[in-house]
Amino acid sequence: MEKRNRIRTSRGDRVFEICNFIFMILLMIVTLYPFINILAVSLNDAQDSIKGGIYLFPRALTLDNYQYVFKEATIFHATLISILRTVIGTVVTVLGSAMVAYTISRQDYVLRKFITIAFILTMYFNGGLIPNYLLMRDMNLVGSFWVYILPGLIGVFNLIIIRSFIENLPESILESGKIDGAGDFKTFISIVLPLTMPVLATVALFSGVYQWNSWFDVFLYNSSKINLSTLQYELQKILQNSTATAGTSSMDGMINGANGSQQGAVTPLSIRATMTIVASVPIIMVYPFLQKYFVKGMMVGGVKG
Amino acid sequence: MKTLKMLRLSLAMLLLSSLATACSGNNANNAGAETNSKPDSTNSANAGTEEVKMDKVTYTIFNGVAGSKDGNTNETTIGKMLEDQTGTNFKLEFLVGDLNTKIGTMIAANEYPDVLIPDAAIEEVLNAGAFIPLDDLIEKYGPNIKRVYGDDLDQMRSADGKLYFLPMSAQVGDFVPDPEPTAAFWVQRRVLEEAGYPKIKTLDQYMELIENYAAKHKDEGLTGMVSLTHDWRFFATANPPMHLLGYPNDGNVMVDPATLEATTYSGSDGAKQWLQALNTLNSKGMFDKASFVDNYDQYIAKLTSHKVLGFFDYRWQVQTALNVLKDAARKDPSLDGYNYFPLPVTFDESIADAYVDGPGGLVTNRGVGITVSAKNPERIIQYFDNMLKEENQILITWGIKGETYEVNEEGRYYRTQEQINKIDEAFNEKFGFKYYSWNWPSYGNNSTLSDGNARGVGYQPEVFQMSLTDKDKEILGKYDAQTYTQMFAKPIDRPWYPAWGFVKEQNSPELMWETNKDELTKKYYPKLVLSSPDKFDSIWSDFQKEWGKLDTAGYEKWTTEQVKKKVDMGK
Amino acid sequence: MNTKTILATPEIKTDQKPAGLRLFLTKLVKQRVLVFMSVPFLIWLFIFKYLPLWGWTIAFQDYRPALGFWDQKWIGFSHFKFLFGDERFLRVLRNTLAMSSINLILGFLTAIVLALLLNEIRQVAFKRIVQTVSYLPHFISWVVAASIIQTTLSPDGIINQLLIWAGFIDKGQEFLFLGIPHFFWGIFGASSVWKDIGWNTIVYLAAMTTIDPSQYEAAEMDGAGRFKRMFYITLPGIKSVVVVLLIMNIGYLLESGFEPQYLLGNGMNVDYSENIDIFVLKYGIAQSNFSLSIAAGMFKTIVSFILLFVANSVAKRAGESRLF
Repeated sequence: MEKRNRIRTSRGDRVFEICNFIFMILLMIVTLYPFINILAVSLNDAQDSIKGGIYLFPRALTLDNYQYVFKEATIFHATLISILRTVIGTVVTVLGSAMVAYTISRQDYVLRKFITIAFILTMYFNGGLIPNYLLMRDMNLVGSFWVYILPGLIGVFNLIIIRSFIENLPESILESGKIDGAGDFKTFISIVLPLTMPVLATVALFSGVYQWNSWFDVFLYNSSKINLSTLQYELQKILQNSTATAGTSSMDGMINGANGSQQGAVTPLSIRATMTIVASVPIIMVYPFLQKYFVKGMMVGGVKG
Repeated sequence: MKTLKMLRLSLAMLLLSSLATACSGNNANNAGAETNSKPDSTNSANAGTEEVKMDKVTYTIFNGVAGSKDGNTNETTIGKMLEDQTGTNFKLEFLVGDLNTKIGTMIAANEYPDVLIPDAAIEEVLNAGAFIPLDDLIEKYGPNIKRVYGDDLDQMRSADGKLYFLPMSAQVGDFVPDPEPTAAFWVQRRVLEEAGYPKIKTLDQYMELIENYAAKHKDEGLTGMVSLTHDWRFFATANPPMHLLGYPNDGNVMVDPATLEATTYSGSDGAKQWLQALNTLNSKGMFDKASFVDNYDQYIAKLTSHKVLGFFDYRWQVQTALNVLKDAARKDPSLDGYNYFPLPVTFDESIADAYVDGPGGLVTNRGVGITVSAKNPERIIQYFDNMLKEENQILITWGIKGETYEVNEEGRYYRTQEQINKIDEAFNEKFGFKYYSWNWPSYGNNSTLSDGNARGVGYQPEVFQMSLTDKDKEILGKYDAQTYTQMFAKPIDRPWYPAWGFVKEQNSPELMWETNKDELTKKYYPKLVLSSPDKFDSIWSDFQKEWGKLDTAGYEKWTTEQVKKKVDMGK
Repeated sequence: MNTKTILATPEIKTDQKPAGLRLFLTKLVKQRVLVFMSVPFLIWLFIFKYLPLWGWTIAFQDYRPALGFWDQKWIGFSHFKFLFGDERFLRVLRNTLAMSSINLILGFLTAIVLALLLNEIRQVAFKRIVQTVSYLPHFISWVVAASIIQTTLSPDGIINQLLIWAGFIDKGQEFLFLGIPHFFWGIFGASSVWKDIGWNTIVYLAAMTTIDPSQYEAAEMDGAGRFKRMFYITLPGIKSVVVVLLIMNIGYLLESGFEPQYLLGNGMNVDYSENIDIFVLKYGIAQSNFSLSIAAGMFKTIVSFILLFVANSVAKRAGESRLF
C-alpha cells in the first residue's frame, strides 16, 4: 500500500482519479439519501409526517417515535437475544462452513464431489413451510433458542465462497503445513483459518446480518415465548400494533368519545422509519470493524509467515 | 404418517448425538423425553383441581387479528376487575406475520392455544376439528350468552348441528345508528361554503360543484378528485357504482331487497357511468392521474395537503387524514375549510343512498372458539358469560363511573372534557379499553343498554354533540341536521348484510371469480379513466370482451343462494 | 498421519474402477480426519434440508393441513396443469426470466465495476467511507425502499422535477413512471442495483485481498497503466469467485424476487411486473391453496437443476473454475 503511493501519476491517472472521485460522491449521495430521509421521518412528529413532503430534515422535531419504540420493556431483553443469536449463529456457521469448505477444497478427498453436490443442490429447493415446521417440532426445537442456530448451521453460499478462496491459496503455503507434518485438522486450524480471514470476515458479515435481521423463525417457532423474542420480532409487533391502531382509530374514537386528539399518536409510517433506524444502526456499525480484513492483503501476513 | 414421524425422530436423535459438540447434551435428552406428550404448561396450575371457582387460572388466547401488544388481561384495570370476579386471566398473543401460515402450523402440529380467534382462517380451523362444541357448556354456564345471542346462535351451527364458536357481537336493544356515515363522497368544506351550501344529491351535481370551484381558483394548483387504488385497497375505486346505485357495501354484488337477487356491477352500465365521469374529469385535467400508481401513504398525504377538493372513500380508510385536518382546524379555525364533509351522492335524485350502515345480519364467519387444548373449558365460558353481563359491558366501553364517565340527573352517561382529554392511546392500553374493544363476545356497537344509554360511547348523541366544533354545528345547521348521518337516507333492514362476509371454500369457483375480477378491473379501470374521451368506448368494449369470459352468472347464482339462506335463517 | 502420501498422489481416480470399493474404504480410513470434519454436517444437511422434501407430495394433493398424510386427497398433476395451462403463465414466466436476467447481469457488472473502482482509491479513509455508505440501502426493507422509490418517481417527485428543470418536458407532462408498463423492468433493475450494489461488492473486495501486491509492482515496472493492471491483474485475480457466483446465480434464474414487484406493481404495469411468485400468491396462497405454491416450487427446482448443470459444464469446457 505505502509503496503504491509513491508511484508517479500520469495525466491520464489524474483524470481517472477525478472522475472516480466524482462518481463515488454521486454514489454516496444516492445511497445515503434514503437513510437520511428515513432518519428525518423517524425524528418527525408522526401526525405531521402523514402530510408527506419530508426529505432531508425533520419538520417537527420530536423523539416521540423512539420513545414509543423503547417504552416496551421487552425490547431490551429481545435485543440481548438478538445479539446472542447473532454472535453464536455467526461463530458456529463460520467455523462449520470453513471446516466443510476445507474438506471439499481438498482435491484428494474421496467424498469431495458427493458432499459438494449434496450441499449445492439444497440451494434450489425447499420442502415447504409445514414439513419444516413439523421437523422442528419433532426435534423439540420449537420453543428453544437453538431453532435460531441449527437450521442455518451451514450456509451453502458461504461454504462455496470459502472453498473458492481456499482453492485460490497458493499451493505452496498449504504444502508447507504438510511438510511440517501437521495433520489435516491442524492444517485447517493453523494455516487455512488465518489465511482466509478476509473471506471469513465476509461470511461472518453475511451471516451476522442474516441472523440479526431474521424474524420469521421467531414468528413461526417462538412467537409465544417472550423470553426468546428478538429485537426484529418485537419491532414487527410494534409496527403491527401501530397499523392496527391506525386502522381502528375511528373505532377507538367512537368508543372513547370521538373527541380525543390524535396529537402524538404514532403511525405505521413513522414506526417503520424508526424501526429501520433502530434495527439497522447496530449491525451497520459492524462493517467498519470488519473492513480492516479487506484492506490488508492476507498475502502480506502469509508471505512473512 | 406415524412411520414418517418415527423416521424423522430417529434421524433427529442421530443428528443430535452426532452434533454433541455443537449443542448441549441436556437439549438432546429433552428431545426424546418430551416429544410424545406435550402438556400445556400454561394452565398446569389448574390441572389437578376440580371446579373451585375462584382458583386463579390463566388461559392463552391467540388472536388472528393484529390488534395490540401481547400481554395479560389482568395487567389492565378492566382485566383485573374481571379476574377478581372470575379468577380467570388471559394471556393474549396477537398475530404478527401471515395468518394462514400461523394457523396452518398450529393445525399441522395439532397444538393450539386455549382460545383461538382465527379470523379469516376459521374454515380451516373448523375442518381440523380444533374447536370443542359449546352447546352443553352454554346450557350450563351461559345464561347471559343465551340472553345476548338468543336465536342468533342457531345461525352459527355447523352441519352437525353443533355450535363451535361464538360470534363476536350481537345487537342488543334498540338500534343506535352511527352518527357518521360508513362511506361517502367527500368534499372540502370551503367548496360548499363558496357555493352557498347547496344540496348535493347526484354525481353530476357533485362533479359540477368541484369543477366550478376549481375553475374559480385556477392558479392554486388544485386537484378535483383523487382515488385510492393501492393493492387490496383498490375497492375504494371499484365500489362506487354500487353506492351510486343506492346499495350498501355488499362487496361484489348488489342485492335487491325485494327479490333477494344478487347482481354484480363491476362490468355493468353503472360502472361505465362512474368511470366515464372520472374520464371526463380527467380530460379536464382535474383528476389526479397518479391515483393509479400512488401508495396508501401518498394518498393520505394528498388528502392532508389541502389541494384535493373531493374523493370517494370509506371513513375507516381515511380517518387518519380526517383527524389530522380536524386537529389543525381545532387549533386554527381558519383551516376549517380544508376539512372534508360527507355527501350522500347517487346517480339520480330518485335513488335513495345507502351510506349509513343499518341493522344487518349476524357475521357468521368470524368468531371465537375454545380449542381441544383447553382444560376446564367451563371456566372460559363462565368468563365470556360474565363479560356479557350488562355491568361489564358498561365497564369495557364506558369504564368506571367517576373515573372515565359520569351520569347526569336524567341517568344519561357522558364524559367530561377532562375525562376525554385523559383518555389517549396510553390510557386505553393501561385501562384495558384497548384489549377489550374488539374480538370478545360482546354487545354490538349499535346496541342500547337497558337504561336507554348507548352501549358505544361515540354513539351516545350527547357525546357526539360535545365532539362537534362550532363550525361543525354551523355547517350541519345549514342542512338542518344535528349529525352527519341525518344528511343521509335512513338505513333499511338487510338481514343478509354484509354479503362479502359469506364463507367461500378454498379454491372454489367463487374465489377464482373474485381473483380474476380483481385482476381485470385493476388492469382496465386505469385505462378507462386515463384514456382520451374518444377512446373510452373502444376500451370499454375490450374490457367487456374480457369480462364476458368470467362465469359471472355462476357467481351471482351462488351469492343469491347464500343471501336467501341467510335471510331464511334470520327469520 | 499419512497425509503426506495422499498429497503426493492428488490425481488418483482409481475409485472409479471395479475394484474401487476396497480402495475407497481404505482411503476413507486414511482420510478419517476429513471425514470427521465433514460427515456430521452432511448428516445435518440430510435432516434439515432433504428430509422435509416429503412436503413435495403436497403438490399432488388437494392439501388440507388438518388431515394426516394418508388422509389427503390425491389429485395427480392438476395443480401443475392449472399452472401451465393458464394463459397468463407464459407472460408471467417471461417477466420472471426478464427481471432475473436483468438483475443477474446488472448486479454482476455494477458490483464488479464498483469493486474495481473502489480498489483504485488510494485514500483508505475515503474508500472505507464510500464502502460503508454504499451498502446502507441493503438494510432498508423493501417496504420502506419501495415507498421512497414511489415518491421519487411520482409526478411531483425529484426525477420529474429534474426533467422539467433540464427542459426535457414541460410542466403538466410529467411521466407517470410506474404507470408505463415497459418502464417497469428498468425501474426494477435500477432499484435493485441501487439497493444492493454496495452489499454485492463486499465479496469481490474480499477476493481482491488474495492478489499478491508484488504482481502490481511488477506490472508497474513494466509500465502497465491503470487499466491494464485492472484487466490483467485484478480481474483475473477475482475471476474464479466471479465464475462460481455466476454459476450459482444462473441456477436462480426463475427466482426474480417477490417484494419489489409486489410493492411497485399496480394495475397499470401488471403485464410487466407480475412474476411467478406473485401469480402463485394470487391464485395459491391467497386462496389458502398451499399445493399450488409447492407445485410452482418444484417446477422452479427442476429448471434450476438443469440450468445449474448446463452452466457448470459450460464453465468446465471453457476451462474455468466451476462449482462442482
